[in-house]
Amino acid sequence: MAKAEKFSVVGKRVQRFEGFDKVTGTSQFVADIQLPGELIGKVLRSPYPHARIRNIDTSRAEKLRGVRAVVTAEDTIKRPWGAFFADQYILSVGKARFVGEEVAAVAAIDPDIAEEAIDLIDIDWEPLPAVFDAEEAMKEGAPLVHDDKPNNITMTMDIERGNIAQAFAESDIVVEDTFTSMPQWHCSIETIGSVAEYAPGGKYTIYMNTQTLFNARYRIAAALGVPETDVRIIQSAVGGGFGGKSCDDNNALVAAVLAKKAGKPVKLINSREEEFLAGCRPRVFMKINVRLGFKKDGRIRAKHIKVIADNGAYSAKAPAITGVAAMRHDTCYKYTDVKTQAFLVYTNKIPTGAFRGFGNPSAEWAVEQAIDLGAHALGIDPIEIARINAAEAGYVSPHGNRVTSCELKQCLDMTEKMIDWKAKRANKAPNTGLGLACTVHVSGKRHFGDYDGSSATIKLNEDGKALILSGEGECGQGVHTAMCQIAAEELGVPVEDVEISRADTDLTTFCLGAFASRLTYVSGNAVKNAAANVKQQLHQQAAEMLEANAEDLASRDGRIFVKGAEGKAVTVADVARARLFRHNGAPIVGSGSFDADSVLPDSTRFGNESGAYNYGVQAAQVQVDPETGQVRILQFVIASDCGTVIYPLGAEGQVEGGLAQGIGFALTEGLQFDEGRPVNPNFSDYRIPSMRDMPLLQHAFADSYEPTGPFGAKGLGELNMDPTAAVISNAIFDAVGVRIKTLPITPEKILRGLREKKPS
Amino acid sequence: MKRTLILNVNGQEHEVEAESNRLLLQVLRDNLGLTGTKEGCGIGVCGACSVIVDGRLVSSCLTLAAGCQGKKIETIEGLAKDGKLHPLQQAFIEFGGFQCGACTPGQIMAAKALLDETPQPTEEEVKEWMAGNLCRCTGYYKILESVMAVVNNKIDPGFAFRKREQSAKIQSLDVYKAVAKTH
Repeated sequence: MAKAEKFSVVGKRVQRFEGFDKVTGTSQFVADIQLPGELIGKVLRSPYPHARIRNIDTSRAEKLRGVRAVVTAEDTIKRPWGAFFADQYILSVGKARFVGEEVAAVAAIDPDIAEEAIDLIDIDWEPLPAVFDAEEAMKEGAPLVHDDKPNNITMTMDIERGNIAQAFAESDIVVEDTFTSMPQWHCSIETIGSVAEYAPGGKYTIYMNTQTLFNARYRIAAALGVPETDVRIIQSAVGGGFGGKSCDDNNALVAAVLAKKAGKPVKLINSREEEFLAGCRPRVFMKINVRLGFKKDGRIRAKHIKVIADNGAYSAKAPAITGVAAMRHDTCYKYTDVKTQAFLVYTNKIPTGAFRGFGNPSAEWAVEQAIDLGAHALGIDPIEIARINAAEAGYVSPHGNRVTSCELKQCLDMTEKMIDWKAKRANKAPNTGLGLACTVHVSGKRHFGDYDGSSATIKLNEDGKALILSGEGECGQGVHTAMCQIAAEELGVPVEDVEISRADTDLTTFCLGAFASRLTYVSGNAVKNAAANVKQQLHQQAAEMLEANAEDLASRDGRIFVKGAEGKAVTVADVARARLFRHNGAPIVGSGSFDADSVLPDSTRFGNESGAYNYGVQAAQVQVDPETGQVRILQFVIASDCGTVIYPLGAEGQVEGGLAQGIGFALTEGLQFDEGRPVNPNFSDYRIPSMRDMPLLQHAFADSYEPTGPFGAKGLGELNMDPTAAVISNAIFDAVGVRIKTLPITPEKILRGLREKKPS
Repeated sequence: MKRTLILNVNGQEHEVEAESNRLLLQVLRDNLGLTGTKEGCGIGVCGACSVIVDGRLVSSCLTLAAGCQGKKIETIEGLAKDGKLHPLQQAFIEFGGFQCGACTPGQIMAAKALLDETPQPTEEEVKEWMAGNLCRCTGYYKILESVMAVVNNKIDPGFAFRKREQSAKIQSLDVYKAVAKTH
């Protein structure tokens, strides 16, 4: 239940920690790093979606003046690597499996020479039959992307909880339909890049813009065949992550191989086209069939979902993403009997992977439209269907997810009020409609080994100011500011007295990084624990100075005082100095760690995957022009349950930015392929929303408190990307009675729907 | 072939040796070390490389450096004067007009070019003008709010940058909670 707490730093509108650097252009992104003697790297990419490499001749490139290294798979240990399944190589071994795959690379003294050298590499290609569609790829006789994967199947799931046949038999109505989503690119304004160095003693140092440093180190070390200690990852400023910079691509590895061979630092930055071809791994393309059984009163009785997911050429995180698409939504409503079947299939296209929402946007696109179908079939207001089925605190999903806090119903109330749902429904203007969808997401996910934790160290300087050493990594979302607030709140100092370090695998302790909306919750708890440890040491020393018991002390605004006698006080700076400058002196350093109380899902994927679940509701009013099929979003409202809001500017930004990506996913974004070749890999033909495209928005945070979160907080980052496409589609259906089932929702599809409705 | 260019950047004359085909973006970043100007798309669509040349907003990724001789080039590095932020820079901090910051120098230069010519634009004019500067993080609401805060003189006169709690609250959390609690 919601619980109001008085905080002095948490929840305050503090400035962003890195604000000055960001607005003055001094923030150092990876392309802004320049090391002495640095070379420029370029990659030769496969022009074929599937082709055997008979021979590579690099001799002409090597002879070009200014070239310092040319590398192919022969310069690597040819060991496959990957997040879940090891199936990709640093540089193609034997054959290439998608257009854009890294085949060879060059390091030279300037970009023009590097480019010229790439043209001088001669490859004897033997094009092979290729397959581009997941369903085609599963058929007997389809070309095999990986010779050891029959029918191109990467992974399958078939899970039933309860008794699905009986549940459908007991349903009063059943609705069923199939919905397809498009791949979506992250389109961070900064592309993926690295600057790698190799010390002859055997150590690689890689400056990179990854959002998951220690996972990057683990994978890079494995692919290079060296111990983790021999790889140091230092994070540059990260110009947007959204899952795309979680080291599932080869950029840093190619830079490392080049740096070793050249004996010089090598900078390798993706161009925008390279980013589309083979940089960040785009959202997994899915075809989802949903069948829902309802009772007459609106209760969902049965859910059967079938997912066919297009993996692309390599698996990256798609196995986990497919699982999320197939199961996550079962934590949103009070489901009892569910069946979930999924196929993840290799094709000769860019490997797909993690993008904000992690399978959930594709799933909610399908399931939340199926719920809407049910509401219409039953003649019940969609908001009431949501209310009837909404999860609550204490709910345990059929897959074992344990919900410790949930304000979904409050979010529904807030949404209803903000958009004036009842009145707008009662006075419906022509071609105008309302749509709504609910959403759930995790706060961390236990799937990288049996661990979903974080750790942090806080050292206190002799001026009383604290420095957090954290390896989690800011990727633009502002989490460093939230960490500073959490530490300041716990320490009882002003937020100005807390700083946070750059993430560096040699200097900070193990952290999994930014994914699964986990940082505020998981790393926030670790930072809070580290701060509590520092506070305990401070109070011990202060007790001596104040001649009091440590238990009787409290801290606020940088002062430590005796409870009930606030005049009896010392400053944190005084205490820090007193602890240091004395016999047996020592600086104050505190460590903290946290591992969420979640369960590694078993072989049937049963188990509480996260420590906390975040909820939300989105609704929109749209107007459809029946002449042109154009959709205008008249109003958008969002209510989010993320527990306590720690850093309001950042939290609001997550909501607003999530909506923008959701609108792009819904209306404009989609890379077109021609025989596996992307035809629009640039910002003029792949359209992300601009300022002009954003609708009137009102949003609110639920009054909520997560008992296991730091000061009651839980995750937020992905929540508002997830339901947007379904909201818009449901609103279009309400407006003109056309149900769009394939993304993106284009005017052409709406016009076609209108024509089919009224045959003339 | 390399040639000598004289470029006036942020009021300072620089002599650089560069190939004739070098773009202004490359010369600013690689020759002058002014890395605040970013490359986002390389084809003049995203606006991350926006700079001002003789008062006009240009995409430096499409502009030849050699053509900028004798002109006044303004980049993000020239905005803060004597340790004091430009009002737009201050507004972007106060109102959260950025997240990752990769598009931010371009956003601020675009807004500056607009306000230099039209100090009192309407919200619609700002949206129209700024549509050429893509951002993938913010959803643009706080960028718009930041620019409008300068237009409407809503920025805090007592502003000190970094981590200080702000007094200016247009879209404050408290307002949202008030909405939330009235149900």
